[in-house]
Amino acid sequence: MTDDLDNIEDFEAKETAGKLPIGWLILFWGLIIWGVYYFIAYTPGISGWSQAKAYEESVRK
Amino acid sequence: MSAYQYDHQTIKGFIISSVFWGVVGIIIGLWISIQMWQPSWNVAPYFTFGRLRVVHTNILGFGFGVGAIFGLNYYISMRLTKRPLLFPKLARFHLYLFNTAIALAAVSLFAGMNQSLEYAELEWPLDIGIVVLWIIFAVNLFGTIIKRKEEQMYISLWYIIATVIAVAVLYIVNNLSVPAGLFKSYSLFAGINSANVQWWYGHNVIGFIFSTPILAMFYYFLPKSTGLPIYSHRLSIISLWSLVFAYLWTGAHHLVYTPLPDWIQTLAIVFTIFLIAPSWGSVVNGFYTVAPDWSKMRTNYLTKFFIFAITFYGLQTVQGPTQGLRVVSQLIHYTDWVPGHVHMGTMGWVTMTVCASIYYVIPRIYKTEIYSVKVANSHFYLVLIGQLIFSVSMWITGIQQGALWKAVTPEGTLKYTFMETLVKNYPFWQMRTVGGLIFAAGMLFFVYNIAMTIRSGNAISGPASKGVR
Repeated sequence: MTDDLDNIEDFEAKETAGKLPIGWLILFWGLIIWGVYYFIAYTPGISGWSQAKAYEESVRK
Repeated sequence: MSAYQYDHQTIKGFIISSVFWGVVGIIIGLWISIQMWQPSWNVAPYFTFGRLRVVHTNILGFGFGVGAIFGLNYYISMRLTKRPLLFPKLARFHLYLFNTAIALAAVSLFAGMNQSLEYAELEWPLDIGIVVLWIIFAVNLFGTIIKRKEEQMYISLWYIIATVIAVAVLYIVNNLSVPAGLFKSYSLFAGINSANVQWWYGHNVIGFIFSTPILAMFYYFLPKSTGLPIYSHRLSIISLWSLVFAYLWTGAHHLVYTPLPDWIQTLAIVFTIFLIAPSWGSVVNGFYTVAPDWSKMRTNYLTKFFIFAITFYGLQTVQGPTQGLRVVSQLIHYTDWVPGHVHMGTMGWVTMTVCASIYYVIPRIYKTEIYSVKVANSHFYLVLIGQLIFSVSMWITGIQQGALWKAVTPEGTLKYTFMETLVKNYPFWQMRTVGGLIFAAGMLFFVYNIAMTIRSGNAISGPASKGVR
């Protein structure tokens, strides 16, 4: 790499430029799927769950 | 080359200002850490914890952090666009205005002027100054990028652009207020709306000052200092867009178990947990970049700064989202766990990346070599140990605090008084001061190393060069 001006070609590996590691892809999609589940399960308007109800239940125990 | 030299003078100015504010902020940090277990260190009214703490966060976040962001990102964008800054004089004015604003910010906070919004404490006249400051940065940066001589835009430029846009929107919205005199104002938002806007701002200003611009430095200076190209362009781009998209939804995770509607909290938690993926995209990219040649960890002194920094970023971006989950939040929220978390980010990820980037830039613009790699290595190990002592002691006492607060007797009353839970913090707070001292000692090595490098650079270029300013 020359120091005065940068050559963008030097910054990025060529053979792996388009790679997405499989482990990372699993994480990425896994978290999206988990997010959909969590949103459905913990939104009062959808599942009926609410913070207040959860609290009362925990006190009853 | 004279246009480059002029811009380099400006960049030097930003770097030296940033280091200066860093030293001031760290000294105040040490002071307030002592105040936690030695109340006599409060000197009323100006040097009490309440005032010093906001000076600490503002000076380090906006003086050290943003100063380095301005300087280093000007440097990066000149390199990547293959041209000098579009408005060099404006950048110089930007430098002076920046230092004036930080100094006035510190004075106003010492004087007790405070909007009572975390990280947005500054009163409205200063807010206007900061917006002007930011617009100057935006105009110069975007202008330079639009008039670039290299068509392809490297990932670092995208991270800088994201920073400039997001911070502008966040800062302006959260600081909207009705002035009541020169030094006092009332926020446009009240009650739960105020809380929601505040944490939308509070969380994202950290994201777009302590994540995206620091990632811009990481993506630029890691390949530059190691000579190893970034592993995957595609991964870096997908990480950028998903990070930017998800970040702005997450602020309400600071308001779990508050009167904020449940669905807003839930939505924020969903996006918060998702953020692990784009953050780890950068972590994976960093590791895979160095993976072809791990010997760089030994042979190139800067590599370990960047690899440890990205490791702490990785730890932060798992710990942070986890804290958003209700079950975790109810244990550690409002405890000392939180400053433990924050400081792994600021002392581990941000400061290490910024220092390594400065180590890279300063010898190059002074056309010399780094004064001492040995001193840099001592700096590295001291800040690493200091930071770990700080974070780990705060995690332990945070969990302890949370557990004691939640403990109830069989009759259902609280088992411990607040005082009983408080005094148990003392040994850990003292330990934190020890960690802070070790970290500060490491930073002294850094300052010494940079000062000596600048000195040798000035000696080489002779009296003809204008020096720092």
